[in-house]
Amino acid sequence: MGDSSTSYIHMVQHLIEKCLIFNMTKEECMEALSKHANIKPVITSTVWNELEKENKEFFEAYAQSQSKQDRMSEEETSRMIQKMISDSSSKDPDE
Amino acid sequence: MLAVSPLRNTRNDENKGKMESFSIISSEEFPDFAEGNLLESIDFDDLFIGIDEGDMLPDLEMDPEILADLPTSRCDVEESMNTSVEKTDEDSSQRKEEEEEEDKISGSGSGSSSSKGEEIFSKREEPNAVDKTPSKYAVKGRKSSAAQAKNNNQGKRKTKKVDWTPELHRRFVQAVEQLGVDKAVPSRILELMGIDCLTRHNIASHLQKYRSHRKHLLAREAEAANWTQRRQMYGGAATPVGGGKRDISPWLAPTMGFPPMSPMHHHHFRPLHVWGHPTLDQSLVHLWTKHPAHTTSQPPQPPQSTWGPPPANPSFWHHHHQRVSNGLTPGTPCFPQPIAPTRFRAAPVPGIPPHHHGTGGQSGPHPLIDFHPSKESIDAAIGDVLTKPWLPLPLGLKPPSTDSVLGELQRQGVPKIPPSCA
Repeated sequence: MGDSSTSYIHMVQHLIEKCLIFNMTKEECMEALSKHANIKPVITSTVWNELEKENKEFFEAYAQSQSKQDRMSEEETSRMIQKMISDSSSKDPDE
Repeated sequence: MLAVSPLRNTRNDENKGKMESFSIISSEEFPDFAEGNLLESIDFDDLFIGIDEGDMLPDLEMDPEILADLPTSRCDVEESMNTSVEKTDEDSSQRKEEEEEEDKISGSGSGSSSSKGEEIFSKREEPNAVDKTPSKYAVKGRKSSAAQAKNNNQGKRKTKKVDWTPELHRRFVQAVEQLGVDKAVPSRILELMGIDCLTRHNIASHLQKYRSHRKHLLAREAEAANWTQRRQMYGGAATPVGGGKRDISPWLAPTMGFPPMSPMHHHHFRPLHVWGHPTLDQSLVHLWTKHPAHTTSQPPQPPQSTWGPPPANPSFWHHHHQRVSNGLTPGTPCFPQPIAPTRFRAAPVPGIPPHHHGTGGQSGPHPLIDFHPSKESIDAAIGDVLTKPWLPLPLGLKPPSTDSVLGELQRQGVPKIPPSCA
């Protein structure tokens, strides 16, 4: 009984690590595991939290990288929006 | 493999029949050729069970007397035999040109051996009253002669059965190479080896087998060389790219989508450390770290020297070229697969390099270009974990204690895991 829990937790950890490789957030991870592996989000979240406790440094760095990406993506996004606007405005005369 | 397609010789049915029988024998004779290290992996005794019984060398269907006394003629027949078989091997490359040639050869080959073939067939007919087709004869003939061999072990064997140990074989090869493979004559080999318990006939039959093996080896090496050339082309293209890191990323993006976690990958990458192309390693490392995080304070960042463009390592490509060609498109052979598993060890590395992670509830606007990992790749990754729980943890994070997890879960209202209903 203890063993199956341990192996289950191990599996969840494995899955979470895969999500980390995909640079997913905790919420995304919960969603993905729930959807694809039928793991209750609360379990995912709990294991995630526990992992975070055990691997503080890792998760800190991970969070940093995540935020940096977001910043980048925001820049990128705004640039794209601007480009779209300029493109569409150039198209307008045709319509 | 000498798996010959029977469709080849449509002109000459006779030849076709003979060819089939030869090829079937051949392909049965050399089952191990799909693997590398032929000479070491092949136990010569097993290959030719029952054949080394003295007089009969039925695989080439030759009169043993000729074999014993006239090495040159044997060589000729052997050559024509082997070339006819070989030509079928090279079928894919130069069909039209060789069709004529090999018709000639097979014509002459079958012509010369047809009489012998009939002889042997008639010989085999006796123990084997059942089979009608030549090909079956060939197969069953061998088996029956195998049976015969075991029965007649005491009676008919004129030459003692030799146990070709690797050491013995090595000396044999040495001697042969000294003389020159084509010129190596059993009597001289015997002299060079200087082993008393070997008879000339032992050597002769062993030499015959050895020669066949060599042909195979050479054919395969030629094929491997082809692959190597192609890889070198790509390898040459890769090194300048190493300098332009940013240029790599879009190029890599489609292939880096998700690494194929095939079971082979673990041994696929072990040899990599031998090749480590240092500059490229670092650039790749930087590539990977650049995109997800711009700091070097990446969690578990081992100095993995296990990435490197697979250079022209013939044996490697020899073994794995099939896999590589399956998984890669031309132009991307150097990076994706070698990187894949080690990439995981290099900490959060995105599945897609230009990872603009705009979604996930952290930033408002949905990015116009969605670099979020695709559902398929996530699904694949998850499926992989579920089906192969024995796989090592990709990141190898320190696992939490079971008790604390369970405790926490209970507080959340989950009494036990795995839950009976998800």
